[in-house]
Amino acid sequence: MPKAQLFITCLGDQFYTSTLKNMTYLLERLGVELTFPPEQTCCGQPLFNNGFEDKTRPVALNFMRAFAKSDAPIIGPSGSCVSMVKHHYPSLFKEGTPEHALAVDIASRTFEFTEYLVNVLKVTDVGAVYPHKVTYHASCHYLREMGLKIEAKTLLNQVKGLEFVQLNEEETCCGFGGAFTVTYPEVSRSMMENKVKHIISSGADTVVTCEPGCLMNVAGGLHKAGSPIRAMHIIDLLASK
Amino acid sequence: MTDTHPYIEFEKYSEHVPPSIPLAVQQATSRFVGGRAARVAELPQWEQLRQIGSDIRQHTIENMDVYLTKLEEKVEEAGGHVHWAETAAEARRIVLQIAKENNVKNVVKSKSMATEEIELNHALEAAGIESLETDLGEYIIQLAGTGPSHIIVPAVHLKKEEIAALFSAKLDINAPTDPIELARIAREVLRERFLNAGMGISGGNFLIAETGTLVMVTNEGNGRMCTTMPDLHVAVVGIDKVIPDWASLTVFLKLLARSATGQKLSTYTQFITGPRRAEGEFGPKEFHLVLLDNGRSKILKDPIGRDVLKCIRCGACANVCPVYKNVGGFAYGSFISGPIGAILSPQMYGTQTARELPYASTLCGACADVCPVKIPIPTILRHLRRRVAQGDELSESSMPAPIRATASLASLALAWNWIYRLGARLLPIINPFFRKDNWLSGMPYPLNRWTKVRPLPPFGARFRNWWKNVRSAKETESPR
Amino acid sequence: MTNLVIENIRRSLGRTDQSPLSLRPDIYEPRLPESVDSEVARFLDEIKKLSGVSQKLSPTNIASALKALIAEQNIRKATVWNTAHLRQLGIADTLQSLGVELASPNADKHEIAQCDLGITEADYLLSETGTLVLRSSAEKPRAVSLVPRVHLAIVCPEMLRADMHQVFAEAKDSDYLVFITGPSRTADIELTVTLGVHGPKNLYVWMMDE
Repeated sequence: MPKAQLFITCLGDQFYTSTLKNMTYLLERLGVELTFPPEQTCCGQPLFNNGFEDKTRPVALNFMRAFAKSDAPIIGPSGSCVSMVKHHYPSLFKEGTPEHALAVDIASRTFEFTEYLVNVLKVTDVGAVYPHKVTYHASCHYLREMGLKIEAKTLLNQVKGLEFVQLNEEETCCGFGGAFTVTYPEVSRSMMENKVKHIISSGADTVVTCEPGCLMNVAGGLHKAGSPIRAMHIIDLLASK
Repeated sequence: MTDTHPYIEFEKYSEHVPPSIPLAVQQATSRFVGGRAARVAELPQWEQLRQIGSDIRQHTIENMDVYLTKLEEKVEEAGGHVHWAETAAEARRIVLQIAKENNVKNVVKSKSMATEEIELNHALEAAGIESLETDLGEYIIQLAGTGPSHIIVPAVHLKKEEIAALFSAKLDINAPTDPIELARIAREVLRERFLNAGMGISGGNFLIAETGTLVMVTNEGNGRMCTTMPDLHVAVVGIDKVIPDWASLTVFLKLLARSATGQKLSTYTQFITGPRRAEGEFGPKEFHLVLLDNGRSKILKDPIGRDVLKCIRCGACANVCPVYKNVGGFAYGSFISGPIGAILSPQMYGTQTARELPYASTLCGACADVCPVKIPIPTILRHLRRRVAQGDELSESSMPAPIRATASLASLALAWNWIYRLGARLLPIINPFFRKDNWLSGMPYPLNRWTKVRPLPPFGARFRNWWKNVRSAKETESPR
Repeated sequence: MTNLVIENIRRSLGRTDQSPLSLRPDIYEPRLPESVDSEVARFLDEIKKLSGVSQKLSPTNIASALKALIAEQNIRKATVWNTAHLRQLGIADTLQSLGVELASPNADKHEIAQCDLGITEADYLLSETGTLVLRSSAEKPRAVSLVPRVHLAIVCPEMLRADMHQVFAEAKDSDYLVFITGPSRTADIELTVTLGVHGPKNLYVWMMDE
């Protein structure tokens, strides 16, 4: 029975408890034995992306130590958080040090949720039922840093009753960008409104994404625009029956 | 006139962007993006070309001294004069001196970002020399007295009615609002100037070290006019434009126009090696090449940042940048805008002056996907953010103390997990004060910067408790 | 003789006078030509896509083609490259007989600016992009293809080259070379494409089929 550790992410932790529960249910239904190291806090991405590399190190060390207790793979519901661990953790530490070796090890066994399902478990049909018109927003780090171009759509393809409609400018950034929302709020606003406009004109009643950050941004924007369109994390959609 | 650049106020500008700017800019960018996509689809070897282009530029940067030395030798062999300008002021001085020595009263200029970088027109005008931009877009913004909103189509933010009014006022005519007619007026007005100018000033897209050849990529013909009609041609070109040889050039010519505008080749590509050789043919009797450093040699010190010098000025990065498309070129406060501007200006003008620019990005990575020479723009943005936030070997930190303090607090709270976990349990306490419709709005600083744009979900960290206390009790609860 | 800029560069890169030049990375293999007919067809098609006018012509039809062009474009004055081939085709004489005033290609620039039509050959042609490649000399001045509002290039299949590589290998020693890919154009005013801004507005390319 495969084992895995849950990486819940700080945004998931604060705002998306039900998504995390669904992630737990889905993985267990697929036969994965899960553990959850409670010492985890945040991958450190907000500090790292804003140039505070020195201040990221202690945060990364906390993460690595939490997940080093088991050698099982680490699964997270966010491409950007997983990318932080996979692609940037090793560069935080000097080569030859035990911290660097640990980072390399942790990086090698951290996966994004859809990546884990499709590419590791080789599962594309999780028995989900969601008879709605659904459109998909491709999150930037998920798409470009993680290179996950087909995984989300592969999973959506197997959802019973789901009618997929293509989002215009599917791959254009929604304007979240982490701290960008508070550094340049007006630019973030323009980008978010552009994304919301395309979601509304797609004709879908649901927009799905694989990033808690994008989800917060887009869901809030849709609500502000008075739109009834539901914004969901792909995990919640896949958990639907 | 000093060489210190004024502080670049990206945030201030970005807070009040006139809506006409993004609207106009996006029309240009979508046209170019569509064109580029069509041209790229035609070339199955596109990715291979990008890699070769990137490798050649990398190689050239790492051996820049050798290639520039060869270039100088070859230009002089061909009868041209080479001048080295370490600073912008030095470059201005050199051009003014050439003009003075030749009694030049009128200059015609083709589009050149290097000359905008050194603010050459101001210097010429101050010396009583008329310097006329001849590229239509540059001519228009020169008349209007504004900067460029887009690297390829600098006047795209102006409507035809505005341009007609501008022509009418400045040329003392009754200009119609038809773009074709306006272009015809420009053609007539500028033709006289081409024929009578004492000096033509150009930039250059590439400098071929092998033979000392200046390569100019243009569309209108004004570049050819400026470098054919006057007896004197002065080219101001950044030292980073040097390439090894003609074989290398084939790669860049295949990449440049396709990336920039979606053309296979621009209308005119000129290859100029020194002054004209034969009597009876047209062309300048004298050719001067001013090689501009202006901080580029310093940028070379930084192995990560210097990838910016690979740039071939196509503008493809700007065309796909969602930030640029929503603010336009003026926000970047310099002659060069968009993603490449965000990584060049901080290195050229320093991270005190340009500390806002590396943050003018969501790190989405769309730019890196289209850069014809594979400049890793998001990597360099992060690298420059490090310079701003904490400083590095080349510069001190320029991040305001309150933000550094906030980052320190965040680091502490996220590293000492008990602080984080305590905070997570306490945060939901504030929900009732801001809750409306299952969302939080109207929050205090700093979260107001989020909630003024869209509401925040309520704080609700219940997973940890669920895992520990609820889940173990019900192992097989069905999913919701 | 070193200079400040080169010194700065060397210091930044940690190089010295003696530092070797590493090998320039490999370039891809140049494109090979297809059949002559195929290359000619492709070339003429690309010209049309660029809003130029292209056609195949035999020497016997030149006079009537010139007559049509003169009428269509209202040509009163022209200038012609003074090359052997164009002399052999009798271009200048034919124009004169059709009532067109001729200016010498080496005339003063103001006089060239009064010409409506400039006639040149080409040194090379690139089929993939519909590009004319022109060198310059006393008999082939640059202004002829640039200043008049109509540019006619009389070319032949022998000028075709499969790729820029071949052109550069043969022409890199010129003091001046220009690639002409279509008529002059801009999109600077509200992105409306306008032809003939400063360079020629009309480009005609006649491929001789001798």
